[in-house]
Amino acid sequence: MADLAARVDYLAGFCCPLGGLPAGKARVLGHGVEIFLSTGRELVYVYDREGRLLTAVYKFPGQVWHLEALALRRALYVLCARTGIYCLSLDQASKSVNQNGGTDEEREPPYPVIPVDPDTCVLPDATLCAFTVLDSVLVTLAQGPTQWKVQLFECPCPGEDPRPRGLIGEVELSTYTPQAGSPGQPGAPRFPPVLCCVSPPGSGALHGPFRGPGGFTLEGALFGLLFGADPSLLESPVIVCGLPDGQLCSVVLKTLVTSQSAPGDPKALVKILHHLEEPVIFIGALRTEPLAEDVEDPYSDCLVALGHHGRTLAIKASCNEAGNLVPELREYCLPGPVLCAACCRDGRVYHSTPSNLCVVDLAQGGAHKDPMQPDGGPRGLPSLLCPASLSVCSVVTLCVSSSMAEGGVELLALSAKGRLMTCSLDLGSETPRPTRVTAANAGRKIKELLCGIGTVSERVSSLKKAVDQRNRALTCLNEAMHVGCALLSPQEGPRPISCSITTSWLRLGLRDLLTANCLLDNSSGFRLDRGWTLCIQVLSSPHASELDSASPAVTYTMPMDRLGPGGRQEVTLTLGPGEDGVLNLPVTVSCALFYNLREVVGGALAPSDSFKDTSLDECPPDVLPGQEGICLPLSEHMVDMLHGLRFSGLSVPHTQAPGPLGPASHPVNTFLATCRRLDSEQAEPTSLRAKHLPPAVAAIRVSAELLRAALGDSYSGVSLCCATLQWLLAENATADVVRAQALSSVQGVAPDGTDVQLTVHELAVTDLCPEGPVQAVEIQVESPSLANMCMAHHAVIRRMQRMVLEQAARGSNPPDVRMQYLHQIQANHEMLLREVQTLRDRLCTEDEARSCATAERLLQVHRELRSPSLLLL
Amino acid sequence: MSHQTPLGTSVPPANCLDLWKEKNDQLVRQAKVAQDSHPPQRRQQLAQDALEGLRGLLHCLQGLPAAVPVLPLELTVICNFITLRASLAQGFSEDQAQDIQRGLERVLETQEQPGPRLEHGLMGLWNSILHASSTLLELLPVLHHLAGLQVALWLSTDCLGDLTLLLQTLNGSQSGASEDLLMLLKTWSPPTKESDAPLTLQDARGLRDVLLTAAAFRQGLQELITGSLQRALSSLHEAASGLCSRPVLVQVYTALGTCLRKMGNPQRALLYLVAALKGGSNWGPPLLEASRLYRQLGNTVAELESLELLVEALSVTPSSEVPPLLIEVELLLPRPDPASPLHCGTQSQVKHLLASRCLQKGRAEDAAEHYLDLLALLLDGSEPKKFSPPPCPPGPCMPEVFLEAAAALIQAGRAQDALTVCEELLSRTSFLLPKMPWLWEDARKGTKESPHCPPWVSATYLLQGQAWVQLGAQKEAISEFSRCLELLFQATPKDKEQGPASNCEQGCSSNVALQQLRAAALISRGLEWVASGQDAKALQDFLLSVQVCPGNQDASFHLLQTLRRLNRRDEATALWRRLEAQTKLPQENATWSLPLYLETCLSWIHPPDRETLLGEFQTSLPEPCDL
Repeated sequence: MADLAARVDYLAGFCCPLGGLPAGKARVLGHGVEIFLSTGRELVYVYDREGRLLTAVYKFPGQVWHLEALALRRALYVLCARTGIYCLSLDQASKSVNQNGGTDEEREPPYPVIPVDPDTCVLPDATLCAFTVLDSVLVTLAQGPTQWKVQLFECPCPGEDPRPRGLIGEVELSTYTPQAGSPGQPGAPRFPPVLCCVSPPGSGALHGPFRGPGGFTLEGALFGLLFGADPSLLESPVIVCGLPDGQLCSVVLKTLVTSQSAPGDPKALVKILHHLEEPVIFIGALRTEPLAEDVEDPYSDCLVALGHHGRTLAIKASCNEAGNLVPELREYCLPGPVLCAACCRDGRVYHSTPSNLCVVDLAQGGAHKDPMQPDGGPRGLPSLLCPASLSVCSVVTLCVSSSMAEGGVELLALSAKGRLMTCSLDLGSETPRPTRVTAANAGRKIKELLCGIGTVSERVSSLKKAVDQRNRALTCLNEAMHVGCALLSPQEGPRPISCSITTSWLRLGLRDLLTANCLLDNSSGFRLDRGWTLCIQVLSSPHASELDSASPAVTYTMPMDRLGPGGRQEVTLTLGPGEDGVLNLPVTVSCALFYNLREVVGGALAPSDSFKDTSLDECPPDVLPGQEGICLPLSEHMVDMLHGLRFSGLSVPHTQAPGPLGPASHPVNTFLATCRRLDSEQAEPTSLRAKHLPPAVAAIRVSAELLRAALGDSYSGVSLCCATLQWLLAENATADVVRAQALSSVQGVAPDGTDVQLTVHELAVTDLCPEGPVQAVEIQVESPSLANMCMAHHAVIRRMQRMVLEQAARGSNPPDVRMQYLHQIQANHEMLLREVQTLRDRLCTEDEARSCATAERLLQVHRELRSPSLLLL
Repeated sequence: MSHQTPLGTSVPPANCLDLWKEKNDQLVRQAKVAQDSHPPQRRQQLAQDALEGLRGLLHCLQGLPAAVPVLPLELTVICNFITLRASLAQGFSEDQAQDIQRGLERVLETQEQPGPRLEHGLMGLWNSILHASSTLLELLPVLHHLAGLQVALWLSTDCLGDLTLLLQTLNGSQSGASEDLLMLLKTWSPPTKESDAPLTLQDARGLRDVLLTAAAFRQGLQELITGSLQRALSSLHEAASGLCSRPVLVQVYTALGTCLRKMGNPQRALLYLVAALKGGSNWGPPLLEASRLYRQLGNTVAELESLELLVEALSVTPSSEVPPLLIEVELLLPRPDPASPLHCGTQSQVKHLLASRCLQKGRAEDAAEHYLDLLALLLDGSEPKKFSPPPCPPGPCMPEVFLEAAAALIQAGRAQDALTVCEELLSRTSFLLPKMPWLWEDARKGTKESPHCPPWVSATYLLQGQAWVQLGAQKEAISEFSRCLELLFQATPKDKEQGPASNCEQGCSSNVALQQLRAAALISRGLEWVASGQDAKALQDFLLSVQVCPGNQDASFHLLQTLRRLNRRDEATALWRRLEAQTKLPQENATWSLPLYLETCLSWIHPPDRETLLGEFQTSLPEPCDL
């Protein structure tokens, strides 16, 4: 279909919030020469088309969500958020217009703002989300704590006692999942549910009590197929509800009367028609078949529902091969996101997206009629819908005006910028015929052209914004690409972006904390900007008592703030000790850069966000399948006991340094505890054990030659022992004392406050090599706390392993070794390991008294295992 | 928030605690004033204001760290808040549970022990408080009051396990003690509060009594539904002896009536029902129960009379009484559901029950009138206040109501009216029916399958034929029966696709019903052939009907008669033997339930003198045993 030309006529502008009007809550309603309009805020405007001016503005106590006018009763019903439904008399509205028309001409603002009388609230209910009004009944949809509830009230009139005369019936619809972000209390849905009243054909329904403004009369066959024989027989209208979760369900109005105000049985009363799986924006009905000549009142023969992302459902009655009437359901996908929609009886559906107002023709199936189909049988729906653009953008609410021109359609629309306009479509003649220009004609023509320019300029600005956004996103992506390449290419040498991790102790109040300082150094030529995040994962080793459980990992994420070339960013994390004073070492700290695609690209890919709309801040679900971003690992660092030892109290040996004092408690408690400790130091269990139990000892022997080769020249000038100790503590921030004093033995304080002694001395190992004694260095670890000793021992061994691996890579050859000796050591160790295994098994099954002995033995074996029988060469 | 309080004392309060207490007392008095004020809007407004006031006061109190001296007041305010809120909303919700939990956590805050984790739930909180607060004697009265509200909340949400545990704890008994809820409630005696304590809307003892009655009633109803009648009786007696309003008493008496009727004590049941009817304006349930009772007793006149009264009672909208601003028994009762003996349906449902009972009991004229009334009630849309639902799910669907009405009219000799009803049914659903001419065209083109249409359409033609029979129009009757048969013998849908969905489809199209419907149509047409003297055609129809529905003995009898008339003795003898054998077998009762209209229709084509026919035939046989 060729683009239809729409004649756009701007009527008025209304103030709108920054970023445009949100879709879903604004309403416009044409009623004769009057237009009622709400922009989703507290005001309802009455605009006079003839005089082209605002005649009244009503102020409500809350946001206005829905308007409906009931012409027969001359009443306007208004749903005010969290307050209820108000009913204004249309006569009263025009009366106030007349009164004010004469007197308020020179006053500012030009229209009076009338606060609504609280007495006109006909249905106070804070949970109402939607309503529709029929001539005699008011159908409401309320949001319960877990369920939607349809309620039916006798409809109050503006003139009489405004209070609703009573609940006629109610039923609960399906459960829904409360929207995230408001736990406990159901928030207002972003898209309010949609109600539509559908009547069966028949005089009773047309002129009877259920004639409503928003309702449609469906052809009998479709009505019967959709809702069954009962409502057809009862000639009862059916309420179709479109819910924000995509469900379309129906309730037969006449069955909704329940006894004693107990809600009806949903299983019997509610029928689920379909599930759109996206918020339902619009439900309507239209005529797709050409009308027979003699039919005056066209019944709709097609039910249409539109979802927010453009999924469109059309239902029509058709015949299957057997000749049975069956409902034909067809789903289409229109370009989304759909902000609003409207349809008129001629088979066209108008729907608005942020960038365009489109029209689709469901009646076009008539053109490709199945020749096999006998006459009189209903035709099928078109297999494909082609939206035709009307070149109007960002319309947030739409209605087909009641005053239709000959052969054409007039739409009332409100744009996101708060402009009220009419779009006249001349559907009869799609090709404009040249007409003779008269003076009056020319004036009108110029005005039309100006209006057209206005529409185009609004559209251009929105498109331009979208292009800019895409360009920005592309630039960002390009940079991210470069960074990724630089980091991932396997080239030698320092990486362009690196993260170095060091540890230090930090005194925070009365607690001392071991901290890891991560320094991100960007020596590449690119900028780390929006979208980049530094992720630091801290993986601590599991607690001794919970070996089986997975080690706890914590990930910290820091968004990058424009880290330009050559820039540095430092992040300090505390590692512990925690509240219980225990720090389980080693802790692995790994750094990675994460690039969030969604944040950078998501907005640009979604056409919805091409213009700023606060209500549409979500990304379409399928734009970035699978991946949310890319992750580039930078570095990994293990913090062990050798990093965690402190030597600040070296000059004052063996007194309690102002070490960590356990759980951070009240200062007074801390003070008291300190006093107590000073008073009776002997009573402390740890010090008791330190006094009376032999300290745990472990040692490791390394050949002096190996060490010398490994340490190289960097430690020249000191003895091998001192050099070894300095090498071990090289990464310890507090080990300056060791370096300064050239010690070969040092006592440090572990994070939990117990001492750890490291001693290095040289010795000769005689019976290993056939050539004679081998010069070796023994590193001895000693601590009254077994756990600390183990952690320190583990740390030393880890360093040794690393060193041996490096040396092996360099290709040093070890001296000959007496194999028999090695075999014996291995056999010894295997035996010990077996014993450990059996002891551990026994420990699991034994009672307390005996397990004590077993534990004792286990400890002993452990000690033997750690005895320095093996030499690293 | 400033409330003018004419009732407030003018003595200036000394400190904050007194100030708050004074505020609480003033709000409670305001709520009590609201209780008696008029009109309802004013009452609602006053009560709402009081509720907001209490909420604000609670906010104030809970903004400060919990302290033992303030706690009794704070918990009292919580109790008042919950009471007012629940009574205004006419029910409990999750919010009240949270209010209680918050209060309990505040109590725990003042105790040194760390509170139990949340996973223990509210019961965990209660346990730790009630076990620890033995020292906090001043808190005990208000804690018991709060516990009463907790019991009410759990009662209304059916959390009976927690409820029993809480009551056991409150009574200080060990677990494993009595688990009888009523016994526990009876033995629970909330300590009296001191005279200078802050005012409450409802005191703990009053609440206890309400809880006892509500629990007894709920338990009784439950036992009544599950069928443990003896226990139901004692529970309901307990409820009846408790403190409750008249509408509740009517319900209790009705339930007692149901219970006694099921136990086989109709006279005592009647006494309770009479008491219930005297009790109040809610006559529905006792009248329905009375009709069931009379039905059981076989007193059709009284049964129908009570149903008629019930229809009238339901047409009066009950004047809704203003519920007091307290926790009442009504608040704690389960919502009426169809399984409950207290559910009496809507006016049209009862009207349908009345009409169908009349038809079943052979009161055709009354039945016809009632059916016409019912249809008028259902279809009249001009008066919106008279909206009535069709006799939904438990009863038949709308088309069946029409068919029953037509059957009743024919039974009552009003064939012309029956025809009107049938035409109305067909015209209202015409768009659902296959368009005949167009389909025949299809059939000529060679389409094998023909459209399916719901069985009630065929049944409509059957009844129309019967109406013509009554009017003596044989030709029309035969053509209607033929049309009915044509539809019936068309292919049934293989797959149960969407179709005109209606919950009655299953009922109508059950196989037995379909067989019987076919047999009925065949026999009806056969009888018309007989009447017009075309025995050969009649024979064909009767033969077919025996084949279609072997279980229908009427078909065999008609066949036998026709065979005899045609003098086909051998076939007649064989058929007679079979019939004899069948009648000697224990007659299996028709356990299937046929739609009422079909049963009525089958009764019309019942051969009048089966026994005499069999006897006659036997005597006319020349030699019974020639084997």
